[in-house]
Amino acid sequence: MITGLYIPGDSLLHRCPAGVKLIALVLIGIGLIAIDNLFLLCALAVVVAASYSAFAGLGVAPVWQATRAVLVWLALIVLAQALLAGVEAAAETVVRLLILIWSAALVSYTSRLSDMAAVLERGLAAFKPLGVQPEKTAFMIALTLRLVPAIFAIARDVRDAQRARGVDASVVTAIVPALTRIMAHADAVSDALTARGYERWDTAP
Amino acid sequence: MSFIVDHVTVRFQCRIALDDVSAALDERRIAVIGDNGSGKSTFARVLNGLILPDEGRVLVDGRDTLTMGDKIRAHVGFCFQNPDTQLVMPTVAEDLALGLKPLKLAPADIEQRVEDTLDRFEIAHLAQRSVHMLSGGEKQLVALAGVMITAPDTVICDEPTTLLDRRNAANVLAVLKDLACRVILVTHDLGQIADFDRAVWFHDGLIAADGSPSEVAAAYEKSLSGIRA
Repeated sequence: MITGLYIPGDSLLHRCPAGVKLIALVLIGIGLIAIDNLFLLCALAVVVAASYSAFAGLGVAPVWQATRAVLVWLALIVLAQALLAGVEAAAETVVRLLILIWSAALVSYTSRLSDMAAVLERGLAAFKPLGVQPEKTAFMIALTLRLVPAIFAIARDVRDAQRARGVDASVVTAIVPALTRIMAHADAVSDALTARGYERWDTAP
Repeated sequence: MSFIVDHVTVRFQCRIALDDVSAALDERRIAVIGDNGSGKSTFARVLNGLILPDEGRVLVDGRDTLTMGDKIRAHVGFCFQNPDTQLVMPTVAEDLALGLKPLKLAPADIEQRVEDTLDRFEIAHLAQRSVHMLSGGEKQLVALAGVMITAPDTVICDEPTTLLDRRNAANVLAVLKDLACRVILVTHDLGQIADFDRAVWFHDGLIAADGSPSEVAAAYEKSLSGIRA
């Protein structure tokens, strides 16, 4: 699922509880396995794509945005499936994947990450006796997603700096300085979390 | 809330960041100035236990940062120079709510306090924005709001305007000026400290001057005159 992409809104899907949407997503995933009729799959794909406008008020641009992110992988999968299992199987697979990707993205676009984290927290609560810390686990997922753009920004800065100094900005030459800066950033984030009371989450106020 | 820094030494490997520093801080608005690497940021961090002394001790309202750092940090907020390290949730509203987690409030109360804080800092329009898409000035305001939502008795700001343009810096300083709580501002901009109650100048890990902002700024300027000549 693509997370952290929330687009604010007040549509039917925005108002629907995150837990319901996540359960629906799981059911769609399971249901897709049972459908092997290409026509039916295509009809389903149209319904999901149309839901972006009809039930989320997002228009069609986010559908393309979600597709573009996985286009290369889809192409590779189609190619491999077509060679190994035939064109019809490849078509079924790609439509199934598109339905799943569009559904997952639709959940992400219409759900705040904090709401999804709260669902995850409730889901993990059952594993508390096994030592799982639901609140912290959910937070770590949210934090990881938040840090993705920060890491990209660091990598971009390092490569820009290398280009500016006339160094060939390849992945290999950028990786060590980028990692060093990412570690320093992680250190600073750790300090900030301490300052913001992370260590007091487990204790009573 | 009183801070007592009692013969504190902090070492980073072979470098001494603070060298047997002592001070008692009681004033409402205190500025800490000095060059890069002078020890002023380390001093700010020992005040709420983010850095622990190698020698000496720091007492905040009688509580030692060595043993009660978490309790102290519940009342002493810290705003970092680079807000990117401080903003850890995807959206502004979610990030503000994060600071309230230790208080174990009901979701409705959290929502209300987030709304109130957004209004107070005039950033309600940013509530659902991704934090990584904000401008530098907006990020710093959100970071400060994230500290102030917990209603700390003291907020320590470590060069909060260094990465900002003049307009955004003026905006952040205006917000700091209006805060009712105690403010300890680390800066190397002497223009920011004129209306403070006290200024402390750090140099090479030592307090070089301590007193009214005008006196301390004059002493600091004098030390620079040799370089300019």
